[in-house]
Amino acid sequence: MKPFLGPLEHGRIPALQQTRVSAFLISAHGALTRQLGVAIPASLHHGWQVELHSQYCREMEILSLLGRATSWVPDPALVFQMWQWEMAWLPRPVAGVEDRTQGALIDLAAFGHALHTVIRPAALLPEGFPDEDPFALAMRRIEFESGRLMQAQILFLKGPQLAPVRNVVASAVEARHAQVRELWQNLLHSMEIDTSGRHTLTPAYQARVQPVPAAAAQPSVAIREP
Amino acid sequence: MPTLTSGSRQISYVLDGPSDGPAFVLVNGLTQYIKIWEPFREALAGRGFRVATFDLLGQGNSDKPSLFIGQDDQVAVLRDLVDELGDQPVFLAGISFGAVIALRYAIAHSDRISGLVPMSAFAELTPQLSLLGNALRTGLVLGGTTYLQDLLFPMNLSDDYITERLDRLEDAKRKAWLINDLYALQNLMESFIDFQPLTPQLSSIGVPTMIMNGEFDFFTPRKLHESLRTHIPDSALVIVQRAYHAFTLEKPALSAALLAQFADDVLAGRWHGGKKVWIAPEEPGGALIPFPANYDHLRALPLQL
Repeated sequence: MKPFLGPLEHGRIPALQQTRVSAFLISAHGALTRQLGVAIPASLHHGWQVELHSQYCREMEILSLLGRATSWVPDPALVFQMWQWEMAWLPRPVAGVEDRTQGALIDLAAFGHALHTVIRPAALLPEGFPDEDPFALAMRRIEFESGRLMQAQILFLKGPQLAPVRNVVASAVEARHAQVRELWQNLLHSMEIDTSGRHTLTPAYQARVQPVPAAAAQPSVAIREP
Repeated sequence: MPTLTSGSRQISYVLDGPSDGPAFVLVNGLTQYIKIWEPFREALAGRGFRVATFDLLGQGNSDKPSLFIGQDDQVAVLRDLVDELGDQPVFLAGISFGAVIALRYAIAHSDRISGLVPMSAFAELTPQLSLLGNALRTGLVLGGTTYLQDLLFPMNLSDDYITERLDRLEDAKRKAWLINDLYALQNLMESFIDFQPLTPQLSSIGVPTMIMNGEFDFFTPRKLHESLRTHIPDSALVIVQRAYHAFTLEKPALSAALLAQFADDVLAGRWHGGKKVWIAPEEPGGALIPFPANYDHLRALPLQL
């Protein structure tokens, strides 16, 4: 297992890895875009509907970018995986919410939150990978945009209108997180990638301290009384 | 790395040093994780202490709740970790965000610890601190974790320290970006939205308390530490020379030596806080210097009271 995409082929991320990562992202962001499209009315009457429209357009940009910035190759494994992913992204009922519209919006926001937080495609790029590579640039742009896109979901899910059903919201979001995380990690493992060791990185600016030998372990700082 | 189950959450932690020694529990600042304390683990274990370091909820390798992380949840994690340490005396030290969690723990469980060390700490959100915190949160939201690091490095470390490490700055930022998840950091920051001042409860902290504040810390300035000093009965304020907010990163040897000496003094019955104000030595092993009488330790200018 390795922590990043690669090894590089002719200075680029291997086409099969690009294909798998982008196929997953297109499946997930595509599902979110379709669900947003259904949720947006033809005429906008509320402020939050403007935000939904903005999300829809930015998700469309992500899909377009992935389609064009990826070096695609045929991958038979994707046939089954795509079906599995699409089934997972289907809207889910949220138990504990009587208003079905509100429940659907909670699930939509939970799915978007999971997608924008769990998946960090830029963090898969090896250190020092060139900025001008289209695939790398797309990954960086998607991760950066995700940080902004998740704000609308956070605002909604943490908002006062959902305070009475806060536990239900937390459960719905945790469930979507677990689902997205499992499928994303399965995909990474299929490419021999494991990102779980990031917490073992030694900080680059850390100073070292010489251990004090046990024999010298005496009080070393005297308090000078005034 | 061992994990501790706290409620429904998994917490990563590391224990070093002799299992029968008095313990130090070190609580991370906002963007920190277990590895940050490595120099402290080596130094304190070398002085005979058992050292517990861990990732708070939302940090490092511990669980990262998706939406809601309350500071009470963090205190519960700390309580479960301290309970793991058995009957040896336990000293609790935390920096910045971790200092707030340590203060909360000490208020609720003062009987369980032998000493407390809040570093770069605060018990209330003054307008200045609140506005700075909001600006950092906005920076995180709009610019991501990299931009937050862009702000935190120069805010919290001295020019000399940064100058020596400029060639490693990008590496440091990349690692911090890899380890920290934006949403988890945001959740930690937003745990201050309903923050109520701890000041009225500080008097219930019944254990020896050494408050540490960097001389040049403008993020959590002296005034915030003064509030701790005046309200915690058996406390003393130690000003760390030429230091900024993140002095545990910049001066680990000195900071660890001060922690060890504090615990040794408490255990030997030599600690008498007396709400005194001290100046830390420049190097480990030096003596604490009393702040000059009749001068105002809240001022940068040497004006007589």
